[in-house]
Amino acid sequence: MINKSKIILVLYLSFCFFACKQNSNPINEGQVTIVSTTGMIADMIKNIVKEKAIVSSLMGPGVDPHLYKATQGDLKLLQAADLIVYNGLHLEGKMTEILENLSNIKNVEAISNHITQDSILSDPQHPSSPDPHIWFDVKLWSSAIDGILPVLINLDTSQKEYFTSNALAYKKTLHNLDAEVKSTLESIPHEQRILITAHDAFKYYGHAYNIEVRGLQGISTLSEFGLKDRVDLVDFIVKRKIHAVFVESSVSQKNIMAIVEGCKQKGHNIIIGDSLFSDAMGAENTPEGSYIGMVRSNTHSIVNGLTNKKE
Amino acid sequence: MDDIYIILVASLFSISCGLLGSFLILRRMAMVGDAISHAVLPGIVIAFLISGSRDSFEMIIGAALLGLITSFLIEFFHKKANLQTDAAIGVTFTWLFALGIILISVFAGQVDLDQECVLYGEIAYVPLDLWITDAGLNMGPKALYVSAFILAAVIIFLSFGYRYLHITTFDSAFAASIGISIGLWHYLLMGMVSMTTVAAFDSVGAILVVALFVVPAATSYLLTRKLKSMLLMTVLLSFLNSFLGYYLASTINGSISGAIASTSGVFFLLAFLFSPIDGIWIKAIKRNFDKSKNTSKTKFNKIFKE
Repeated sequence: MINKSKIILVLYLSFCFFACKQNSNPINEGQVTIVSTTGMIADMIKNIVKEKAIVSSLMGPGVDPHLYKATQGDLKLLQAADLIVYNGLHLEGKMTEILENLSNIKNVEAISNHITQDSILSDPQHPSSPDPHIWFDVKLWSSAIDGILPVLINLDTSQKEYFTSNALAYKKTLHNLDAEVKSTLESIPHEQRILITAHDAFKYYGHAYNIEVRGLQGISTLSEFGLKDRVDLVDFIVKRKIHAVFVESSVSQKNIMAIVEGCKQKGHNIIIGDSLFSDAMGAENTPEGSYIGMVRSNTHSIVNGLTNKKE
Repeated sequence: MDDIYIILVASLFSISCGLLGSFLILRRMAMVGDAISHAVLPGIVIAFLISGSRDSFEMIIGAALLGLITSFLIEFFHKKANLQTDAAIGVTFTWLFALGIILISVFAGQVDLDQECVLYGEIAYVPLDLWITDAGLNMGPKALYVSAFILAAVIIFLSFGYRYLHITTFDSAFAASIGISIGLWHYLLMGMVSMTTVAAFDSVGAILVVALFVVPAATSYLLTRKLKSMLLMTVLLSFLNSFLGYYLASTINGSISGAIASTSGVFFLLAFLFSPIDGIWIKAIKRNFDKSKNTSKTKFNKIFKE
């Protein structure tokens, strides 16, 4: 008996060692590597450095950054990176603290340190805990480019002109995007400019583009939505004749469904708008897989839903 | 070097948890680790409301305090209300967790606050979370110091308290009759458990800690009936788990804590099947052996009677 179990143990051991021998390291030598936490940051940096550096992001499509669990490969990526860029403002949870500490000995930058600090929104009750979803205000997001550009130039000074002209071009694109979002949203009547979503990630969007935002739950994924909040929200929807509520790609739909049912019982039909991208971008190689595509897709979904154009 | 740091931190915490977990299993309190992982929530919220910050230090203080309160309440309900320990554990942690959720929705609904993002660490980041002195000197991973300190504390506690823990675990009536305070040793053990749990949460995350408390100790329970060899075997298993689990994670590029916990599950399964004492294989063989003996006996009886 003991012999049998020993044999199995030895087999298991040897399997493990054999298996890890085959594992080769995919990290490229020679070229500058930049690792970001979220896809939005990677997208910005890719647009500045283009093919001159390898840019990768730890969190793929549809990942909630608050709950992200690292893999063994992530550690290798982070250790090998010449530059690590993260969002900051506690978006990455406990990892934020580690990265902050790491900046003492490694090249680590927080995007939130490079944006216009006055524009950071926070709950008046807890001023020390700002809202981390800064990328939804396109203008604010593009203000980070100026701050991050010198950091990138430092990595590869020979590409100074190239990076600068790319950054300028990207800033211009984002500037146009900002104007485009504004003009697209114009078609929503003023009294119906209310965005109701499952998770409170759109405060910056609402603030920048003059839309009232109502969340179903707080920023924390643990804070539950009270019964009274639910009743109040249903009354509010019925009173203001809102056409649509929205779900997000990285948050569950349960709470939103409860609101839809509640409205139905009061005789007000409400549709669920197209899924919005909140904490993560869409799948790679789709239009929503880039920052611009994601903002555009969200804006179109919101306009379509609130003006009841489609469906 | 990263590999060594991770394996070392995982094994050190694993050994601390396993040693304490052996006593917990024998006292039918195996799920205390899981209970504490939930029950710390109100501590985190209160620490945030008082300090206004979500830094690890404040969170650990709040969590440790609640860990102690949890273990106190469990024993209190068990003793005073004569409730079974599992029921006492269940009542305590669900109640405290619910309290935490209410506190969040009333006071901090707009703040990203839960164990997942402010307390639970991630073992993959152990080599990144360095202790850097004010002079800029890199002293190595923080978690290494924490885990070594915790293990030292656990070993000192066990070497002084082994006899008392042994006797209060196996024969509490006798212990009481010779004047050993059962309550005192329970609270000391639970205090150590809370401290270890919270420190390990901060460095390696929750799933791993809950698994480390139960699985290696339960595996060695299947393999031996002597407390001392159970403890030794737990230490050995803890080290093997961490080592093999880490390489499993690096092979499949998966979560390290998930891989270590799974590896410990594989060992448990092996022990369950092939243990020389309790393994179902040996039982089956014994049964067959008994059956054949019985049948020959009845045959013999039959022949004899006829």
